[in-house]
Amino acid sequence: MRRVVLYEGFERFWHWAQALMILTMMLTGFEIRGMGFHLFGFRRAVMLHNVLAVALVTLIVFAIFWHVTTGEWRQYIPTRTFLREMIAFYLTGIFKGAPHPVKKHRMAKLNPLQRLAYLGFKVLIVPVQITTGALYYFYPNLQHALGWSPQILWFIAVVHVLGAFGLVAFLIGHVYLTTTGHTPFSNIKAMITGWEDLKDDEYFEET
Amino acid sequence: MPYPPINPVFPEARQVLLALMALLALTPTPVQAQQPGGTNPEGHGSYTSLHSAKGRRQTADHSKFKILKGPFAEGDGPAVTRACLTCHTKAAEQVMATSHWTWNVAKDGQDGYGKSTHLVNNYCISIIGGNTESCARCHAGYGFKDSTFDFTRQENVDCLVCHDTTGDYEKEKAGFPNPGVSLAEVAQKVGAPTNRNCGVCHFFGGGGDATKHGDLDDTILKAPRAEDVHLSKQGAGMECVDCHTSDAHKVGGPNYVIPADRRELPKFAGEGVSRMSCAACHTDAPHGSYVLNRHYQKVACQTCHIPTFARGTLPTNTYWDWASAGRLKNGRGYKEEDAKGYETYNSIHGEMLWERNVKPTYIWYNGNLRFTRLTDTITIPADGRVVLNPAEGSYADPSAKIWPFKFHEGSQPYDTVLNRFVAPYTAGPKGSGAYWGDWNWDVAIKLGMETAGLPYSGQHGFVKTSMLWPITHMVAPKEQALSCTECHSRNGRLAGVPGFYLPGRDRGKGVDLFGLGVILLTLAGVGAHGFLRYTHVRH
Repeated sequence: MRRVVLYEGFERFWHWAQALMILTMMLTGFEIRGMGFHLFGFRRAVMLHNVLAVALVTLIVFAIFWHVTTGEWRQYIPTRTFLREMIAFYLTGIFKGAPHPVKKHRMAKLNPLQRLAYLGFKVLIVPVQITTGALYYFYPNLQHALGWSPQILWFIAVVHVLGAFGLVAFLIGHVYLTTTGHTPFSNIKAMITGWEDLKDDEYFEET
Repeated sequence: MPYPPINPVFPEARQVLLALMALLALTPTPVQAQQPGGTNPEGHGSYTSLHSAKGRRQTADHSKFKILKGPFAEGDGPAVTRACLTCHTKAAEQVMATSHWTWNVAKDGQDGYGKSTHLVNNYCISIIGGNTESCARCHAGYGFKDSTFDFTRQENVDCLVCHDTTGDYEKEKAGFPNPGVSLAEVAQKVGAPTNRNCGVCHFFGGGGDATKHGDLDDTILKAPRAEDVHLSKQGAGMECVDCHTSDAHKVGGPNYVIPADRRELPKFAGEGVSRMSCAACHTDAPHGSYVLNRHYQKVACQTCHIPTFARGTLPTNTYWDWASAGRLKNGRGYKEEDAKGYETYNSIHGEMLWERNVKPTYIWYNGNLRFTRLTDTITIPADGRVVLNPAEGSYADPSAKIWPFKFHEGSQPYDTVLNRFVAPYTAGPKGSGAYWGDWNWDVAIKLGMETAGLPYSGQHGFVKTSMLWPITHMVAPKEQALSCTECHSRNGRLAGVPGFYLPGRDRGKGVDLFGLGVILLTLAGVGAHGFLRYTHVRH
C-alpha cells in the first residue's frame, strides 16, 4: 500500500465549495419555485440564488484555469477502454466482490464511467444551468431590448428546472457511488484529505 | 419603454466577493439581503421640514382687506367672489377653464366625458337626469341646478370651497353656501388648499364618505402613518396639492386618462416630471435591490405598496344593486344593516356591500380606461356583465403595468331597445316622479332622459355592471409592502393576471411530475443497487 495525494488542495476546495453552492442553489431554487417548503424565505432565497450563481461562475472560471494549467483536464477525456468492464462491474461484479476493473493512477484517477458522467456534468448540465440562469436573470432586459415574447421566459424556466432536477439525480447517484470504494467512506475521505491508499501494484503501474 | 432602467446591471458584485471570501474560509455564511446606504428609518425628514415652512408661503393677510369684511348676505357666495375678483382679476377665468368648473372632459377628441355631460357610473349613475341640484354641492360654483346654469358668469365661481382654512364653510344644494356660514369670517381667512378642502368633495364621491374611491376618505385627515404614509401627519404630513400641483388654478390630476407610468402625465412649468408620479420623488430605482427595482418595468409601485384599500375606519362601497331597489314596507322605503352597522339594503339604492381592508384586483393597465357614456351603445357580453370602463393593456404593451384596482360591482337600468344606459331622475320628493319619491322606474327614467335631452324607448331593464377604479392613495409604510410570495406563489394575488410567466406561480405542465419521477427512479435504482450490494457482499 502506498499513500498518495490524489486530490490537490485547490481541487478539494473547488469540489466542496461547488458542492456547497450547488446544494444551496438547489434548496433556494426549489423554494423559489414554490415546491412547498420555506427555508430561507422567498426574497432571501432569490438573493442567495443570484449571488451564488455569480460566485459559482467565478469559481468555475478559476477551476477551468486550474484544469488547463495543470493538465488535469486530460482526466476527463472520455475513453472506451474498460468502459464495458466498468458497466459489468456495477451491474454484476460488485455484488460478487469482484475486484474493481480499473486501477486508479495519479494521472488517471477517474474510471471511464466517471469520466463520462463528470464530463457530461461539466459540459452539459452546468453550462445549460448557467446559460438558462443568466437568460432568466436578464430576461427583463432581453425582453425589453429584443422584444422577446413571454413564452421564451417560460421555455428558459422549464429548461432551467429540468436541469435542476437532473442535478438532483446526479447528486444522488454521485453520493451513492462514493460508497463503492474500498470502504463505504474511503472515497469521501480521499476527497476531504486528498490522500488515498493505492495498492502497491497500482502505484507501480503508475511509475 | 420611454424610461429604461438606469441602475447598474449587477450591484450584487460586492456581495459576490463577500460570498467568495466566505467560501474560501469554508464557512457557510448566509448572505444578507443588504440595503445599501443606511437610510433614515423615518425617511422623509427633509420633506417634513419643507412642509413646516408652508405657513410662510402667503404674502397677504386677508383679514386686512376691507372688502372681505363684507357684510355679505346669508348664503350670498357670488358677493364674496366679486370681492375676491377685485384683486384676483383673472382667477375666475382660470377656474372656468378647468374640469373643476366644467365637469366635462374631451377624450380622444370626443366630448361628453364628465358629470355634467354623458359619463355614466354605477354608483349614482348620472347627475343629468334631474339630480344636478343636489349633486352640485360639490361643484366649484354657485347655482348649478340644471342645464340652464350659466357657465360663463364669473361670480358663480366658488373660491371658498377650495380656499377656506376655517373648516366652517359648507355647501348646500346647487352649490350655494350654507346660510349659517359666516362668509366674511371665512373670506378673511382664506389660504392655500389643504387636504380638508379637497376632501370635502373627493372623500365623499358616490354620495358618502369613502363610498366611491376606496383609497380616499375622511379618515385620512387624522390618519395614523399606517393608513397613508404621505398624508398622515405622523407620516410625511403632505398635502394633496404637494403632488397635485397647479398652475393658474388648473390642478394637476388625471381626468379619465391615467397613464400607468404617471410620469407621462402633463407637467407644469418648472416640473421635470409630473409630481403625481411616485418616481418624481422616489426615482424609478428606489429599492436597494436590483431585482426589486426591475419590477418597475411591469409593476406599478401601487401594486406592492398599497396592500389593501379602505384601510381607515370606514368601509367603501363594493356592490350596489339598483335592480333590487324599491322594496317597500307599508308603502315606505326602509333600510337594513348588518352586524357591523353597514347598510346592506336601502330601498332608494338597493342591496349594497361595504368592505374595509379590501385586497385590490390586479390587471394590466396602460393608462387608458374606455369609459362609457349615456350616448354609447352597449353590448352585453356572455357573462351578462358590462364593464363600464374596461382598462387597456397587456404584458406585450410596453406602457402597461400591473395595477391595483377597486372593482365596483352592481347593476343599473338601461334602455333595452336602444341598448344604452339611462339617467333616471332619482333625488326628488313624492309626487315629483323622482324614483326616491314615487318608486316608479318607468316614470323616473322617462323624466330623467327628458331632462337630459336624450332619447328613451320607454323600455328599461337592469344589467350587471362593473366599474374600475385605479388605487393610488393610502400608500402604506414600506414595512407593510407586499412580500414576494403574495404574488410569487401558486394562488397568489396575481393568480389571474394573464400573458406572462411569473416565477413561483407558473411551472409548465408536468415538469415537476417529470422531474420528481427522474429523482424517484434514481433513488429507486440506487436503493436497489445498494440493497443488493449489502445482501451479497456480506457473505
